Amino acid sequence: MIWDLKKYTAIRKTTIFLFSVVFFFASAAASVEVSAQKKFSKIYPASKNVRLQLTNRTGTVVVEGWDRQEINISAYLEAPAATIVPQSLSGTIYLNLVKDNQGKKEVGNVNFLIKVPYDASVDIETMMGNLNVSNVRGGLVRAHISSEGDITLTNISAGAVAAENVIGDIFFDGTVESEGNYRFTSTRGNINLRIPFNSSFKLVATAPSTRSISLGDFGNSGMKFVSDGRRVVGQAGDGSATISVTNQRGSISFIRR
Amino acid sequence: MILDFCDLDETDYSLPPNSKALWCRINNLIETEIASDIPPEIKEEKQKRSWQFSFGQVFASILGIALVSSLLTIVGIQNYSAGDVSANTAPSLFDRAMSKVGLVETPQQARENRIREQQAAIEYWNKRVEAKRANWDNYLREAFDRNLNEINQVVFEYDRILQENPQDDLSNEMLDSALNEKMALLREFSEL
Repeated sequence: MIWDLKKYTAIRKTTIFLFSVVFFFASAAASVEVSAQKKFSKIYPASKNVRLQLTNRTGTVVVEGWDRQEINISAYLEAPAATIVPQSLSGTIYLNLVKDNQGKKEVGNVNFLIKVPYDASVDIETMMGNLNVSNVRGGLVRAHISSEGDITLTNISAGAVAAENVIGDIFFDGTVESEGNYRFTSTRGNINLRIPFNSSFKLVATAPSTRSISLGDFGNSGMKFVSDGRRVVGQAGDGSATISVTNQRGSISFIRR
Repeated sequence: MILDFCDLDETDYSLPPNSKALWCRINNLIETEIASDIPPEIKEEKQKRSWQFSFGQVFASILGIALVSSLLTIVGIQNYSAGDVSANTAPSLFDRAMSKVGLVETPQQARENRIREQQAAIEYWNKRVEAKRANWDNYLREAFDRNLNEINQVVFEYDRILQENPQDDLSNEMLDSALNEKMALLREFSEL
């Protein structure tokens, strides 16, 4: 009986010791991670028709529309931390991390979370990383990735929309404005466009390598496959807007919103 | 009396007051006489012949006009709808003739010139990237190579297609676009 009690106490002590060791190393690792990540925050009052122009190096950029007349920029900088020097000139907020960190041997990822007024124009670029823009209805939405990363544009109502990357998916969910211009370009990935069924536009969609162009509910008599099925041209409604989609080695799909 | 007569101006008798007007009057007189000599039947027949067509002639001419105008409309619509998206647009006869004489460059020559310019720019940016890439971390270097390789594959693919079919406009357009993308990728990474 005494022997059992002793054994039980020893096992308990060992277990507590092991848990302490594990907890020590886990908290140490967490503290290293926390100390390696810096945060940058800045708020700018926004005039009407404000424009955000951001050029990132690497990292994820999330831009969300909100109902305040101010731009809130939060950036989470991984080590070695990048330099950020934002500028506000004549209603445009400029952030150019490529220029600000030119010649630096190593620069960590910078992950942005930016809140802009609903009616802001958004022009974002990154060398590498995902770009997400949502709830924006300004004049322009442009998302450009120099190399790889996914582009997700959700709930967008802008007259000019452009999304381009080399490797990665592009998803657009929004309205097609009258006289609007919409351009989506990728080399390899899937391009999915979710637009209202009653949209009016002229379309040129090209997927030369895969010939995978799915028009869904938009495949009416106004659309036709040309060039051996590598391209679709046509018109929906009165054709007031222009949609141009090119995917060199991937697919193109239209989804009814 | 005799002397007075001799003093008179002789020209008054030898030339009429206006010789040209006189000849004009004579001509008109002759023409009127000739016209009145033609019998009225012949006159009517002439008039009828110049303005009247048979039913067959009218039908044939209407049919001809309809045929020509519909052909022109069809050709016009086809040209409009095909626009610049047709895959194999052969140059017009005029263009071919001009390019044979050397007055206009052929589409192939234009394409080759453009590709040469793009290749020169790519070479320039490539040198700048080579000078900079030593400073990049492995992660960035691998991503750059992966993306460049993807574009190179596209360029290679269209080069091959165009060697087989140089008239393929869509492949020409895609090659042009891929070379521009390659140029942009090199330029943007050279700025790091």
